[in-house]
Amino acid sequence: MPKEKDNLLGPSNSQDKQTLPIMQRPTPPEIPWVTTTNFHSLPTPAPSPQLFPPVNAEGFPPSAQEEFSRTVRMGFQNMDNLQRQRLLAELLNTCNTEQLVFVSNYISPRLKRDFLKDLPIELSLHILSFINDPKTLSRASSVSKFWRSLLNDEFTWKNLCVRHHFRRRSSAAPELPPSPTSETSSSGNNKFSYKDHFRRRYIVESNWKHGGRTLITHISPDIGVVTSLQMCQNYIIVGMDNKKIHIFDVSDGKYIKTLSGHEGGVWALQYIDEVLVSGGEVRVWDIDTAECKHILHGHTSTVRSLKMKDKTIAVSGSRDATLRVWNIKEGRLLHSLAGHQASVRCMEICGDIIVSGSYDCTARVNMVWDIVTGECLHVLQGHYSQIYSIAFDGEKIVTGSLDSTARVWSRQTGFCLGVLQGHTSLVGQLQFYESILVTGGSDGAIRIWDLDTNRCVKHIAAHDNSVTCLQFDKKRIVSGGNDGHVKLWDLETGDFIREMTTAGNAVWRLAFQETKAVVLLQREGKTVMEVLDFDAQKS
Amino acid sequence: MTGAPEQRNVKLTSSEGTEFKVERDVAEKSVLLKNMLEDVGESDMAIPLPNVTGPILQKVIEYCIHHRDDPMPTHDDDTKKTDDIDDWDAEFCKVDQGTLYELILASNYLDIKPLLDLTCKTVANMIKGKSPEEIRKTFNIANDFTPEEEEQVKRENEWCEGR
Repeated sequence: MPKEKDNLLGPSNSQDKQTLPIMQRPTPPEIPWVTTTNFHSLPTPAPSPQLFPPVNAEGFPPSAQEEFSRTVRMGFQNMDNLQRQRLLAELLNTCNTEQLVFVSNYISPRLKRDFLKDLPIELSLHILSFINDPKTLSRASSVSKFWRSLLNDEFTWKNLCVRHHFRRRSSAAPELPPSPTSETSSSGNNKFSYKDHFRRRYIVESNWKHGGRTLITHISPDIGVVTSLQMCQNYIIVGMDNKKIHIFDVSDGKYIKTLSGHEGGVWALQYIDEVLVSGGEVRVWDIDTAECKHILHGHTSTVRSLKMKDKTIAVSGSRDATLRVWNIKEGRLLHSLAGHQASVRCMEICGDIIVSGSYDCTARVNMVWDIVTGECLHVLQGHYSQIYSIAFDGEKIVTGSLDSTARVWSRQTGFCLGVLQGHTSLVGQLQFYESILVTGGSDGAIRIWDLDTNRCVKHIAAHDNSVTCLQFDKKRIVSGGNDGHVKLWDLETGDFIREMTTAGNAVWRLAFQETKAVVLLQREGKTVMEVLDFDAQKS
Repeated sequence: MTGAPEQRNVKLTSSEGTEFKVERDVAEKSVLLKNMLEDVGESDMAIPLPNVTGPILQKVIEYCIHHRDDPMPTHDDDTKKTDDIDDWDAEFCKVDQGTLYELILASNYLDIKPLLDLTCKTVANMIKGKSPEEIRKTFNIANDFTPEEEEQVKRENEWCEGR
């Protein structure tokens, strides 16, 4: 309050020290506005020096000033709304510009509202729900103590998580691994916070787009072609054509061990739960001890594809045109599935169903086998040339062929549901999830298809040479090519985001998870493995 | 509305006792009034709205008249965009903050979701893209952090600056 008084009474400008704004035209002595009847007949206010002692350079005696203010206030309080407005208008009419500016500055903050503080909390949160920009929200939390506490509300950040598709759990994207940074100390009370969750995911997202770091780079001493790669919760497992299998720690990318024993190149491998199966010749390993538990004989030629159903059953597909189903615990053959007329190039398992793609003479056959009975359910005929790639979700089967098409098939009926045309060369890479299919071709293109309509929704001229590997999740596609580039794309728009690493001569394989990616490529004639990390770093 | 029986007027009384007459379909933009009218049936009695002042009720009615032919909002088109405000609505919201505040409360009380969303979006837009100091200025909020707290808040929020 004293501040206002200063403003009111303090010497304004040099123009007229003696004239105090409020006193410029003292009101009549009678205080007539207490009784509202004669308000309208108020005479034009005229100076009436009698009421107060004469004004001198020092201003009014304080007591008289206070007395007058009190009288005015009381009179004002006794008026109705219309009378008040009229009086205010009259007073304002007597003000000069400087005084009006003062009034305006004095009033305008009072007309403002601290909406978030004054409204009921559910309405404040409703307002915040219209803001999906984390920067604005975090800035808003620096406004005041109240705003800060409001912006720590889980509801807001949960909303934001939903809108940015940062779901807590999802079948497609496994939950984030434990953060290597902050939470370690407070692991005792590990309460989930949407704000922390959002923050971490947001940092990870932005690191994918334009940050991250190379966790480790391994340059292999021995020259070899990388044929297979699996990135799982604990390990990065790399199979080479030089008979070796290398194992690395997924958390820091460090080398752990090498499994040696294969007599020829390793062309396929899969790992589940400390058990690793690999082919060339089919071998079962205990990763923990690095011991080769079984060598499974039977195929008469190299195994090019290999999948595990679980820790007990694995299936191998070979150049000898057969598939073999193994009990890998006991090292025993369960079924030998004949039928393909040429090399089995690719295979996928879902539940009890195996789908396999082959080079067979007609070069257009897929077979659907039942593991339990070893029975052929359907022969999928249609491709005009060898099948190189296959994907299967239990319902739909998608095959990619040298005839430059991909085909979609029904597992149930064995019918071809669609022929996807667009690539101009071999369709060697494909992955699908729900209704999104992404294919990579030897024409260097990536195509995104909608499996509900079987139409191509995006065509990306991705690489100058064959697409050798690709993977996508709900947000992004990462592709590698024979041109040596590793590129990141936006799944929704198909836009190029960035190169993930220094280009080499050719990219062999890649894999990624939420916060990490592994790339195997040939650079300057050497086999190089890079592990990239996008997690939040300690600042 | 063709062939519908003639519109009955509905009487509403604001907190000061001012009476407003509106057509029934206008009043029914408010889910609260719609339910009331369905429960009570035809009646000449004015519905008292002790939580809404005359000037605010006037504004709310103005909104409901303009939007009388809009379809009822469905629950699933909960779009959280704030750039979809049309010109009339934007003009409608060009009011002082006190009025806007009362409009939020009134639309919440009367259960007029599109008006609630519109007014809340308007406030959200006043927050967007501003620095903390600009937000304080906009809503006349005092910075009540101690310098230490302010430093801490700043650190907490570093993660999304410059990304």
